[in-house]
Amino acid sequence: MADFRIAWATLTRDVRLELRTRESFNAMLFYALLVVVIFSFAFESEAELTARVGGGLLWVAFLFAGLVALDRAFVREMPGDTLTGLLLSPAPRAALMAGKFVSSFVLMLTIEAVLLPLFAVLFNVSSEVHWGGIVLTVVLGTWALAVTGTYFSAMSIHTRHRALLLPLLLLPVAIPAIISMVQATQVFLSRSGVANYWWKLLFGFDVVFTALGLLLADVVLDVD
Amino acid sequence: MEAKRLTPATGPRPTSNWIVLWGSLTLLLLLVGLYLALLWAPEEATMGIYQRIFYYHVPAAITAFVAFFINLVASVVYLLRRSRIADAWAVASAEVGVVFLTINLITGPIWAKPIWGIWWTWDARLTLDLVLWVMYVSYLLLRQLTPRGELQPRLAAALACFFFVDVPINYMAIRWWHTQHPQPVIFGGPGSGLAPPMYVALAICWMAFMALGYVLLRLRIEQEMDRHALDDAQRALLLEDVGG
Repeated sequence: MADFRIAWATLTRDVRLELRTRESFNAMLFYALLVVVIFSFAFESEAELTARVGGGLLWVAFLFAGLVALDRAFVREMPGDTLTGLLLSPAPRAALMAGKFVSSFVLMLTIEAVLLPLFAVLFNVSSEVHWGGIVLTVVLGTWALAVTGTYFSAMSIHTRHRALLLPLLLLPVAIPAIISMVQATQVFLSRSGVANYWWKLLFGFDVVFTALGLLLADVVLDVD
Repeated sequence: MEAKRLTPATGPRPTSNWIVLWGSLTLLLLLVGLYLALLWAPEEATMGIYQRIFYYHVPAAITAFVAFFINLVASVVYLLRRSRIADAWAVASAEVGVVFLTINLITGPIWAKPIWGIWWTWDARLTLDLVLWVMYVSYLLLRQLTPRGELQPRLAAALACFFFVDVPINYMAIRWWHTQHPQPVIFGGPGSGLAPPMYVALAICWMAFMALGYVLLRLRIEQEMDRHALDDAQRALLLEDVGG
């Protein structure tokens, strides 16, 4: 229960910081919008094309925006060196990590909530697609990226070329999740088949990496 | 005076004997393997001369998998014991694994072009190989970009654990993904079973690669331990200067 309160405190603190400063959120959102707009210049935004490769386009946009959000997860702690403060507290590392997982997840979902309708409009997604299925895929996929990305974000703050290293670590490990989320989204955009298998795989990825991230939390969250 | 104090760390190296022994054994095996693979082994019926690259392609893959397995074990041991030697094993095996998997990934397309008619296909096994290669290259980059010291092996070991959990999920995802796409034209590789001389050539080539891998691994481990010794000596010198 105490662990849960610590995780909750970490989460609410991050959310409050984000709500107050706002500029990082605004910049991230604008960046994500630019990605979608640039995509619609780079590819023909016809309904027929969206049905074929829309899943990939959507997730690459989410991934770009997500990487910026994930980089913020621990960089936020750097200006006042609040990370050292967190680490000197007796709070269990797994609880801190859990709070960070959820705060990255919330931030990414918020951006995606704006991005998804815009994508649907710019790429002429048919209104008859199964939106519930797409939303569930987005939630499962975002959690997969949030968990692994936040863990690697904690890793990369100690390194040179921090912003470069995060995608270098995240993308290889996230490959099975990326395959699953793109394929599941594609199933709904092309209105063919079922996504059950991909959902199971994504769910498995989520569970396994959440457990591993919490288990190995004190490996990356340690005072040096 | 400083030079004298440093002698134990940089003195005569015990390396020289084993490197001569293992080095010449490896060289011999590689030469014999080359002869067996290119001249002695019979020509394969359908693929002809192209099949001979198989004697390098397959041993390289197996050697790389052995190296990655060593990396996993060494990483877990490091997380449990925090011992320098475990980390030296981890970094050495990852580097050796990447080298051999690179050989595997280069020889594959060279064979595939004349046989399949294409350089590359997103077939399940090829994709998994590529994913594994990408992972361990990112592992080496993490090591390169992390400052030396206690942190670097710790982060690297955690990443190795992530890879271990990721590989089976990748396997399932890639297999399912692949089956949704049209099958490429495959002759099914060398098929089921080889002629006995082919097995001999394959076994010798594999032994040669394993011996080479072992030499590289051990050299790299010693190098890593020397680096630690040097770092320690430097730190000791610095402390002494500060102290008095």
